[in-house]
Amino acid sequence: MWKLLVAFIVFAAVALFVLKKSGGNVDMGGEKHDVTGGHSEAAASAPAAPASVPASAPVAASAASN
Amino acid sequence: MATASGAMKVAAHDAPMTSEEKKVIFASSLGTVFEWYDFYLYGSLAVFIGKQFFAALDPTAQFIASLLAFAAGFIVRPFGALVFGRLGDMIGRKYTFLVTILIMGLSTFIVGILPSYASIGVAAPIILVGLRILQGLALGGEYGGAATYVAEHAPHGKRGAYTAWIQTTATLGLMLSLMVILGTRTFLGDVAFGDWGWRVPFIVSILLLAISVWIRLSMNESPAFKKMKEEGKVSKAPLSESFGQWKNLKIVLLALFGLVMGQGVVWYTGQFYALFFLANVLKVDSATANIMVAVSLIIGTPFFVVFGTLSDKIGRKPIILAGMLLAVLTYFPLFKALTGAANPELAKAQVTAQISVKADPGTCSFQGSPIAREVDFLSGCDIAKRALTQSSASYENVAAPAGTPTTIKVGDKELTPPTATTTAGGHKFDDASAKAIAAFKKDLAEALKAAGYPPKAKPIEFMGGQWWSVVGILTILVIYVTMVYGPIAAMLVELFPTRIRYTSMSLPYHIGNGWFGGLLPSVTFAMVAANGNMYYGLWYPIVIAAVCFVIGLLFVRETKDVDIYARD
Repeated sequence: MWKLLVAFIVFAAVALFVLKKSGGNVDMGGEKHDVTGGHSEAAASAPAAPASVPASAPVAASAASN
Repeated sequence: MATASGAMKVAAHDAPMTSEEKKVIFASSLGTVFEWYDFYLYGSLAVFIGKQFFAALDPTAQFIASLLAFAAGFIVRPFGALVFGRLGDMIGRKYTFLVTILIMGLSTFIVGILPSYASIGVAAPIILVGLRILQGLALGGEYGGAATYVAEHAPHGKRGAYTAWIQTTATLGLMLSLMVILGTRTFLGDVAFGDWGWRVPFIVSILLLAISVWIRLSMNESPAFKKMKEEGKVSKAPLSESFGQWKNLKIVLLALFGLVMGQGVVWYTGQFYALFFLANVLKVDSATANIMVAVSLIIGTPFFVVFGTLSDKIGRKPIILAGMLLAVLTYFPLFKALTGAANPELAKAQVTAQISVKADPGTCSFQGSPIAREVDFLSGCDIAKRALTQSSASYENVAAPAGTPTTIKVGDKELTPPTATTTAGGHKFDDASAKAIAAFKKDLAEALKAAGYPPKAKPIEFMGGQWWSVVGILTILVIYVTMVYGPIAAMLVELFPTRIRYTSMSLPYHIGNGWFGGLLPSVTFAMVAANGNMYYGLWYPIVIAAVCFVIGLLFVRETKDVDIYARD
């Protein structure tokens, strides 16, 4: 069990390091249905992102699955 | 006999995990990590995929592609649950979830090598949408297979602990996708990444697939299924047995409405809506919001195993229902606390600035369609409410007589939103409307700023007091997720007999998560836009979780002591 815990901590630490180091600017909002990637006015936009959201993080109609 | 069986159960309960059991959990979980990896890849890289495959299509074709991509998530996935559930109950768990992972992995890999629109024209987006549909299909069969396979290998009294490992894979898949995406982007630079580097994470998935298939091939069939097959008791028609007989259909419906529906909304709210709220409603810098959510997920992830293990001792139902009840009772105070912690200026403005929208109710439409487009909202009322909701401004609705133009009052300032028209075909605002909307949004932004609304949250110092306050609240939301999600695989498995288990548990799982959870962003946006209060959308997960709690409490039986072989 302790090996798993250590592995998880190391894995999580590396992920956080990469996230922090790269500026963390990535869309973590889950699956997208807006196939244009937020470039078109005709795109799905119900919970549309305001102007403050960076281009690499468009938030469009999304759905998760788990 | 009863004593011997009891002694065996006690012995199994106390025995440490065997290497075979560890391998079973590892093999199953790895496939589910892969599923999550793919899931996050597509979401995170949607902007690049959009540019390469869809940007050159005409608006109608883009809209059709959006509809198909939507269908892949909402219709194809439950359909995949039926297709692969049926196969899993007829030919076995091992071969079925080998097929699902192969379909998933190959589809993901092909996305990475698929020529873009510039190379092969309209065939590129068509193939891509086809691959998305295949992925949706495979996804529908993957989780049920992994959960069933692990649970059927787990000793009695440890199913909660064993299946909980599968539930941790969401975080691992997220972390893995972040590492690969950000690592590739950092290594290649933004230009090369946007050009071709975005393909690398998809191509890397072939390695994960190879490892998963290699491990899964070396695994044995589930002992429960093997025994049933040897005795000739395998179901010949799992679909009609699962959904055509009231005795079992009743349990499927109870699983959906008394367990998974609530789990879906709590899960979605705790992870995705919290992130959306933080970045888009509270206007926290998106990179900071991502890091805070990632940290809360990491802190929360071990609790999947904690609650899964605990469910073997005190029961699945108390933990799942307690998670839902806590969500119902505390979502409002928690999200208000999140506003106070992440953007105190906005919290203050919400209280002090008076905003009202005076409109003819007949001109205000429902904005909850998950496939709606910005150009679908043309009335002054809709344009005003969308702009205010996107600005995180809470407002009061005042009904005006029919025919009266919509007006917004921000403190003493009065604004009149435009009424828009579209070009022929209805895919774009005409130039005059687009200019009028832009001018209105600019005026509104200035009025809101004058009323004390901050255009953005102030920067949050990394690991400072404010940072930890936000992470603390997010972690509570994630812990609710672990309560409802940690024990649910074991519970779903235990509700159904072996002969129709895969089919029966997969469908409610994907409907509960895909439909009730997946519609959350659209429904909450529409509710906020209609009501004016930025927290109003929380009523959606609260009502769904509350209804689910009551149904679960009254009608769903505890399953932790169920002998899953008894009805075979």
